[in-house]
Amino acid sequence: MKKVILLFALVLLTIAPFFGQIELPISELFNSDSMEHKVFFDIRLPRVLLAFLVGGILALGGLIFQTVFRNPMSTPFTLGVASGATLFTAIAIVLGFSTLSPLFAFVGAMMTVLILFGVASRFERYDSSSLLLVGIALSFFYAAALMVMFYISSLQESYEIMRFTMGSLDIVGFENIIVLALTSAFLLAVIFKYRYELKLLLTSYEFAYLKGIDVKKTNYILLFAVSVAVGVAVSFTGPIGFVGLIIPHILKTIYKQSADKLIMPIFFYGGMFLVLSDLIARNLGTTSDIPIGVLTSFLGAPFFIYLLIKRKSS
Amino acid sequence: MPIKIDNYSNEILKNISFSLEAGEHLIILGSNGVGKTTLAKILCGMTPSKAVTIDTINPSKVYGKKRAKLINYIPPKLDVFDEFITVHEFLELGFIGGVVGAQHPTGIDDVLKKLQLIHLANKACKMLSSGESQLLLIASALLHDACYTIFDEPTANLDPQKMQLLFGLLKDVTTLQSKLIITHNLDLAYKLGYNILFLEDGAMKFYGSNANFFEQKHLDTLYDSSVEKRENNIVVKL
Repeated sequence: MKKVILLFALVLLTIAPFFGQIELPISELFNSDSMEHKVFFDIRLPRVLLAFLVGGILALGGLIFQTVFRNPMSTPFTLGVASGATLFTAIAIVLGFSTLSPLFAFVGAMMTVLILFGVASRFERYDSSSLLLVGIALSFFYAAALMVMFYISSLQESYEIMRFTMGSLDIVGFENIIVLALTSAFLLAVIFKYRYELKLLLTSYEFAYLKGIDVKKTNYILLFAVSVAVGVAVSFTGPIGFVGLIIPHILKTIYKQSADKLIMPIFFYGGMFLVLSDLIARNLGTTSDIPIGVLTSFLGAPFFIYLLIKRKSS
Repeated sequence: MPIKIDNYSNEILKNISFSLEAGEHLIILGSNGVGKTTLAKILCGMTPSKAVTIDTINPSKVYGKKRAKLINYIPPKLDVFDEFITVHEFLELGFIGGVVGAQHPTGIDDVLKKLQLIHLANKACKMLSSGESQLLLIASALLHDACYTIFDEPTANLDPQKMQLLFGLLKDVTTLQSKLIITHNLDLAYKLGYNILFLEDGAMKFYGSNANFFEQKHLDTLYDSSVEKRENNIVVKL
């Protein structure tokens, strides 16, 4: 089963850029003056890469959050990082700085991270569930602030904000791809450096502590790395739900191995999931693409429930 | 290197002071909720306190091998979050040095055989019965081999044969360097013969030799005549 899926994924990755509203004959692709060449290299290819990297970051973020919080329902958005990004994007739009919205989104995400860790440093004893609650409280606060933004914005601005919250993989050129590739490399490097600690955290905090781990420091480093990476990803694409929740669970069901061995598969298939979702969104034949966040939830939620039923019944 | 706790008090415990030399063993007794596990967590540094030192080092202040070498705590129940971690993988982590990347630790199979767990080596920890989990924890303690190892009710879930097996290990003074055993099983405590620390209302009511503790008169005052010494066995009157 694993090999079949891998083969399918590789084929998918290769053919994904060729499908879309405009047909691209291969003969025209290498003619650098043609429109097809431009569409392929400036729009399609960056888009597929963007989907892959963002999907990978979100899925891996989900794995880390579920491990650190020992809660299978946490996602990279649980601590409010995505809500922070969304709120600041809305602020950028309402203030008339739409073009700078990725920058605002990044500032929003990072500010959230700083607030979280600022609050956490005041805890007398390390307690991941308190941190989780602070994140949830922040999310609600941001949601209320976002409502205010909707309320004071014009119809056009409201529409722009709404589109951001649905997620979008529209991108032109490779500059942003390089930033995301570096972000992914950073996240993977941090996780690999801490993979033994991660494996110990997969048992219990107590056991990890007795093996000499500084549990608090390790958790903070992992959460910080994920939050930064997710902040960067969300600032380009908006919040794309469900990837971080379902991909780790699906991969565990398929591989039946402990999470520390699934770091690369989860990154790869998280990316593939978003590439596939985007491919479907671009080719449904509607006048405009279906927002990617809507599609991931439509695909992900039923499949996730199916897996849960299958696992519980076997 | 002796372990020392110097006049420690909190909401549960009152004025706890004692020290134990490396190589000595101790049994900790006391009724439910009296603070035995609390005391264990303080000794390990899981609940940080300035009152504890092991060879002049405070275990909550050091990290890595340095701490792992000093003291280990074996909880009454196995807690593993990931559902696919196997018995063998769990024990690989149980090694001192597992943290810094011992790729192929030896000795795991020997310990698994000793505890009659070898047939479970590739089974997921989450799928073990409570008795098997308890033996797995004991196995991890043997591999970890800290200077002091605290066992928190190690026999609670064991069947009679497994109980004998574990008794043999705990009785053997060469098993681990120093053992601190928390238990409610008075017969076990009596037959191990190690010194006794008895807690009552959070305070140290008795700290001394096994023989003195298990005098019938002493037992009557401590346990309100609910325990009896009968033909060299400690029996709970039912």
